[in-house]
Amino acid sequence: MKKLHIIGLVVIAVAIAVILVSLRNTSTYANFTEAMANPDREYHVVGKLDKTQPQVYEPKINPDEFRFVLSDNSGLSKQVVLHKSKPQDFDKSEQIVLIGQMQGDEFHANDILMKCPSKYNEAGNQVN
Amino acid sequence: MDFINHFGERIWAGQTGHFFILLSFISALLAFVAFVLSKNNREYLQLARWSYHVHGFSVLGIAGTLFYMLFNHFFEYQYVYQHSNTEMNMKYILSCFWEGQEGSFLLWTFWNVVLGWLLRRQLKNGEWEAPVMSMVSLVQVFLASMLLGVYVFGYKIGSNPFLLLREHSDFNKLPFLQIPDYLSKIDGRGLNPLLMNYWMTIHPPTLFLGFASVMVPFAFSLAALWNKKYSEWQAIALPWTYFGVLVLGVGILMGGAWAYEALSFGGFWAWDPVENSSLVPWMVLVAAAHTMIINKNKGGSLFTTHFLTITAFLLVLYSTFLTRSGVLGNASVHAFTDLGMTGQLLLYLLSFVFLSVMFLIRDILFRTSYIVLSLLMLGFAAVYEYQIITLIIWFCASAIITIISYTLYFPKEKEEEQVYSREFWMFLGSLLLILSAMIITYFTSVPVINKLFGTAYAPPKVPVYNVWIIPFAILILFFVAAAQFLKYKKTNSKDFLKRISYTFILALIFGTVASIPLYFLNDFAGLESGEKWNAISYSLLLIVSLFAVLANADYWLVVLKGKLAKSGASIAHMGFALLIIGALISTSKKVVLSKNTSTRKVSGLGKEYDDNKSILLARGDTLPMGPYFATFSGKRKIGMDVFFDVDYFTKTKSGAYEPLFRLSPKVQDNPRMGKAPDPDTKHYLNRDLYTHVTYAILEIDTISEKSNAYASAKNFVGHVGDTIFSSNSIIRIDSLFSNLSEQEYEKNDSILIVTAVLRCVDVKNRVFYARPKFVIQNNIIIPKEDEVEELGLKLVFWKINPENGSIEITLSEKISNNRDFIVMEAYVFPYINILWLGCLVMAFGTFIAIMERLRKQKRLQ
Repeated sequence: MKKLHIIGLVVIAVAIAVILVSLRNTSTYANFTEAMANPDREYHVVGKLDKTQPQVYEPKINPDEFRFVLSDNSGLSKQVVLHKSKPQDFDKSEQIVLIGQMQGDEFHANDILMKCPSKYNEAGNQVN
Repeated sequence: MDFINHFGERIWAGQTGHFFILLSFISALLAFVAFVLSKNNREYLQLARWSYHVHGFSVLGIAGTLFYMLFNHFFEYQYVYQHSNTEMNMKYILSCFWEGQEGSFLLWTFWNVVLGWLLRRQLKNGEWEAPVMSMVSLVQVFLASMLLGVYVFGYKIGSNPFLLLREHSDFNKLPFLQIPDYLSKIDGRGLNPLLMNYWMTIHPPTLFLGFASVMVPFAFSLAALWNKKYSEWQAIALPWTYFGVLVLGVGILMGGAWAYEALSFGGFWAWDPVENSSLVPWMVLVAAAHTMIINKNKGGSLFTTHFLTITAFLLVLYSTFLTRSGVLGNASVHAFTDLGMTGQLLLYLLSFVFLSVMFLIRDILFRTSYIVLSLLMLGFAAVYEYQIITLIIWFCASAIITIISYTLYFPKEKEEEQVYSREFWMFLGSLLLILSAMIITYFTSVPVINKLFGTAYAPPKVPVYNVWIIPFAILILFFVAAAQFLKYKKTNSKDFLKRISYTFILALIFGTVASIPLYFLNDFAGLESGEKWNAISYSLLLIVSLFAVLANADYWLVVLKGKLAKSGASIAHMGFALLIIGALISTSKKVVLSKNTSTRKVSGLGKEYDDNKSILLARGDTLPMGPYFATFSGKRKIGMDVFFDVDYFTKTKSGAYEPLFRLSPKVQDNPRMGKAPDPDTKHYLNRDLYTHVTYAILEIDTISEKSNAYASAKNFVGHVGDTIFSSNSIIRIDSLFSNLSEQEYEKNDSILIVTAVLRCVDVKNRVFYARPKFVIQNNIIIPKEDEVEELGLKLVFWKINPENGSIEITLSEKISNNRDFIVMEAYVFPYINILWLGCLVMAFGTFIAIMERLRKQKRLQ
């Protein structure tokens, strides 16, 4: 059964390689402060829409650019440039996850995940 | 609230449902105990069978009651209120049934009941009936408990779908519940618009039938360990395993078809945790089916087969845990909402891990010490705070015990494996499949790893999966192509290599010829190293997939002489290879048609962003889009859906537009669920044109678009160098100049004229200048406006703030400027039909294989 043993060792080596290599390159959840310390790395920043700041979406000029201000979980607010069209129901989002990196004082995001209010937490007003 | 006398509520319905839930749980428990006892004492067998019947009928009773309530709009019940309403089309009532967690558990339980009945008939009075049915009943005990909704020592066990709104903790604060006759006033909240799709009526039942059929080989495997007969069960379990491979595989691809048609992530597969967690059990089950074949033809692989059939089932439980416990959190957009059953789901998973390891141990003393150890650790975890460490230690202990059991109890092959033998190649192929399943599981489990180790890794994105999985796919497809040409035990390597070389060379030629235009002609040298590697791996995958298609066709038509009954494996493998080819080409050569023509790019900042995938279509404009010309012709509102009609044209030689077809992607404006885009796709034989609206104004307005009047003005405060955005241009304050110097103005109170030079750049990059003037004469401000006729803009420079030097300008636009528009994404998926064809061929091949196995079984009897 020698051959199988060699194969077994190869399998273990591949498994360890996957774990090590992928962990080294993988993006992590972070706040703006960490993203600013490492402008070359991609981060997932979790936060809330800062509703006091203006949102700029000018689809006639660039449909793939949407600017808004996000307040991260530590409370720090930064200008965000999302390189996508403005998501539907953006203003209703409770929580936002942005995937991207810092460039200067702006966070440039390729992608966005939003959590919209759960169906459970509506405050009523359902009588038609 | 207790004092309100509600009327109109149909309390009996919920009570009937809950009665069936309790009955199904108790009868499953009784069936389990009785089947266990009847293994050694056949007197209990009748009791066990009857209990199982009662269990089956009570599950039907639960489902029937829930359906009845949904059909008749019993909105006093939480499940009905939350998942349906009177407005929706009744053809989606099935989707309402399984939209919630409880309903989908019920669906799973239902299929298990059906499979259990079939199994019991098949195994009646045999030595397998009692042990196999014990396992089935035990699975049912756990599943039935998911619906119990009772509290034991403060822990909630299960979630009861038959609760009244006012009994449900999430809803009992709703103000309308204070009204005694609230029932006549309310409507349900309705179904999630994404689920209003015909795929959603057939995908979940197929997928859950697939999950349920994974249970069958698992039950056999544990029964075999219990009976201490390691190999006889495999002949009976093999058709069931094929069945699981077929149904689960089709179910997964139906999910892909649904995602492609109804979701707007632009593709059929996104490596979402929910998708992965059904793919991984399928891969392991496929590997298990192959080791079973090895065992049947040559013997051996006993431990591997047991290990894989058990693991496939445990992975189904693990995926249930992942998608339903809320542990995925931000990682998945379409996991279920957390119902507070995390603990119960984890317990479910751990119990079956425990049971499997326990059955692997043959030695009584050893087995008892494992049981005691596990109970001690469970107690320790319950009392102290080190649950996670305890859990990890317990898992490690279970893994070590598994390895020990393997070395102690399982017969080993004496002779060295032959390199050129079918079993060895099949084994390698299965191993690669398992390795890729492990990698996918590991990536999917990142949120779990974060929970266990306190890390903050983000879930890997699609390219990460692709980069890791493609090399494995290449190797697996090589084995898929070649393994059939080997004989069991030993094959002459020269004959074998010669036999496969024809199809290999053919595939190499075709694959290379196809790869060059696909991956290498478009500026290969200019690509980044990662993309170069992708291009090479894509073309390798294409070549080896073609090899797999040709080699299996060769085996089917030449070696098997086209006999359909024997060709299940070849046809299924051919389908699998076609599926990979379709997935590869349609994904890697997906073309963005909706490139925006924006002049303002942010990518100059150092990193390229793919902010070039949306196009803005203003109403009436015709814009080029790939080979087409597209016009946004108008929008229609039907119920909650707003359809955006986009007409596609081609240009004839004379320059006239010739209409081709119309696509109407829609956005559902659901007041309760929010806005949900729904793509529309034009299907051709060799490609799909897929479009969806990402941004649009949903209101249907009636303002005349031809109006020449100006809309109300907007004010801007700024300095030289600042920009103002109008709906159709960017306006930059270029400079200010005055007719007088400051001193002259101080001395002389004649006319001061300050001119603002405003540079307007429109979407087509044309430049216009506006020069509004700020005029002060005798201390009276008389602004002199300027217009840009071409852009329909009017600019008034009316204020200078001396304290900070800023100026104020108002901008008015002609009403006709604000023409309605949509922002749309459009993609071409080339050759995606090969993927669906591959799916059908694979399903057909697997079906033939099942029939052949069943025929062989009959012949043996």
